[in-house]
Amino acid sequence: MVTVKKQSSLTALKRQEKRLGYVFASPWLIGLFVFGAFPMLASFYLSFTTYNMVGVPRFIGLTNYRILLFNDNLFWPSLWNTLYHVMLSVPLGLVVGIALALLLNTKIRGMGFYRTLFYLPNVVSVVALSLLWLWLFQPSFGIINQVLDPVYRLLNMEPLGWYRDARLSKLTLILMGLWTAGGSMIIYLAQMQDIPFELYEAASIDGANALQKTTRITLPLMTPSIFFNFIMGIIGGFQVFTIAYIMTGGGPSRSTYYFAYYLFDKMIHDNNMGSASAMAWILLLITLVLTMLALSLNRFVFYLGEQK
Amino acid sequence: MVSDTERPLKQEHTELPKLTMKQRRLIKNSILHLVLVSLSALFMFPFFWMLTTALKTPAELLRGTEVLLPATPQWQNFRIAVTQVPFILYLSNSLLLVSLSIAGTLFSTTLSAYAFAKLSWPGRDTFFIVMLATMMIPIQVILIPSYILYAQIGWLGTRLPLIVPFFFGGGSAFYIFLLRQFFKGIPRELTESAIMDGAGHFRIFWNIMLPLTKPALITITLFTFMFVWNDYFGPLIYLSNPDHWTLALGLRAFQNQYSGRFDLMMAAAILVMLPTLVIFFLAQRQFIEGITFTGIKG
Repeated sequence: MVTVKKQSSLTALKRQEKRLGYVFASPWLIGLFVFGAFPMLASFYLSFTTYNMVGVPRFIGLTNYRILLFNDNLFWPSLWNTLYHVMLSVPLGLVVGIALALLLNTKIRGMGFYRTLFYLPNVVSVVALSLLWLWLFQPSFGIINQVLDPVYRLLNMEPLGWYRDARLSKLTLILMGLWTAGGSMIIYLAQMQDIPFELYEAASIDGANALQKTTRITLPLMTPSIFFNFIMGIIGGFQVFTIAYIMTGGGPSRSTYYFAYYLFDKMIHDNNMGSASAMAWILLLITLVLTMLALSLNRFVFYLGEQK
Repeated sequence: MVSDTERPLKQEHTELPKLTMKQRRLIKNSILHLVLVSLSALFMFPFFWMLTTALKTPAELLRGTEVLLPATPQWQNFRIAVTQVPFILYLSNSLLLVSLSIAGTLFSTTLSAYAFAKLSWPGRDTFFIVMLATMMIPIQVILIPSYILYAQIGWLGTRLPLIVPFFFGGGSAFYIFLLRQFFKGIPRELTESAIMDGAGHFRIFWNIMLPLTKPALITITLFTFMFVWNDYFGPLIYLSNPDHWTLALGLRAFQNQYSGRFDLMMAAAILVMLPTLVIFFLAQRQFIEGITFTGIKG
């Protein structure tokens, strides 16, 4: 009798747990459908329509995509600007982040202090950060050109125009992005410190020098976090917007008019929701393909404790 | 470094004067410190230049590096930054958004993380993968229909689009993931014995789980604070009414109003970023642990 009763109360508990699972998850579940899945499907549908916030969306098939790809004089330039940004900022960010982490991964006093300093730029509001670099790179009075002045004289050249020069503007925004490389450094550093000390000891006994230990032990064992930052860098890089919006307004000559900027203009200024949705889906597709490509590099990623 | 003592043969070939291990380490550490100090100086210089710029006169600005420090610090630049724009209004708007977003995030993330960690229900594992996948989706894909939706239900021009989604786990997949790991780390026996004592899941959640995961809750609070305080894109799109503007939007407006007056702009920018710097310094450990978690367990 007793066991039967216990059994039934247990199944009752199980059944209750199922129900409670949904109850507890309901805020997120509702959010997933209302603020996630529904908008996503809706934007997919909208990308095949023409809609300017008045009336109802009118289905026009692939027209938005066709116009964007073949008949739009800003689509390809904005995509190219974004690709340029991603292709340079992601690898440079990786290198600087890893280099900083390698420097700090020594049993040196004050490591925590340096770590805090290098991370600090990451907590600055992106508007404040943009204004700051606008001033530092300011071509006539900015400190960077002032410091470089002897070099300009030596080479007998005009001072660089940085964000005012269409050839340099993208690069300027990439360079200033390196100031926040300390964000990924924290992740690398944490992973480096998880590497068992015995590995280094064993390498020392075998006569490995510091460089060999770095390239044969530290870097391979860091690949999971390098990989993580690589993918996140690509996803984030394709959404670059605010720094250009604040610093250059997309110029000069649209040289910093990025994909997300064009999408923003289409949406907010032109109310061209169909075309903007098509751009959003193209962005999703590009991000997805690049992420998949990056994931195929996964086999070069070395997970400690997984090797057989 | 250890190897040198074990290979005496090789050392004889080197022409450097023989150094003891201790001396070698001293030299190595000094070089490293020198590199680190110069790099830190390089990284900190923008902050320094920002502060000195904020305290200079416009005439001193034009003289660039000739004037490293202002002759007399122009503290009134900060007063101008606060009084020439409705700074207090922007500040209270920012604080309002920040506190409501934190409340919403804590509400939705703790509940759903509990469901993912401690309850078994059909579809849980699938939904968990879906949740992780949402981190990969560019915001633009859901932005446009959401914008249209808000327009149709009359939320454009209000703060609601920037608050309500937080109560439904909006943008907090990572936090749910973090909390789930914390909840999972709490021994099963603890919850089971509570159930034996007749406690329901809500009691367990409220009286056992939440108090035991305070560090994670603090981390989530801090990250949400940073995100909402610094967010520019969301407010730019939804806060069309200047009475609702946040500090980030106010700073941008200030830039347009005082373009070229970098002394004033830097003063305003310092005021906007000061709270984030202070909070970061006070709670670095939580931040560093939280970021570390993203990269390693994520």
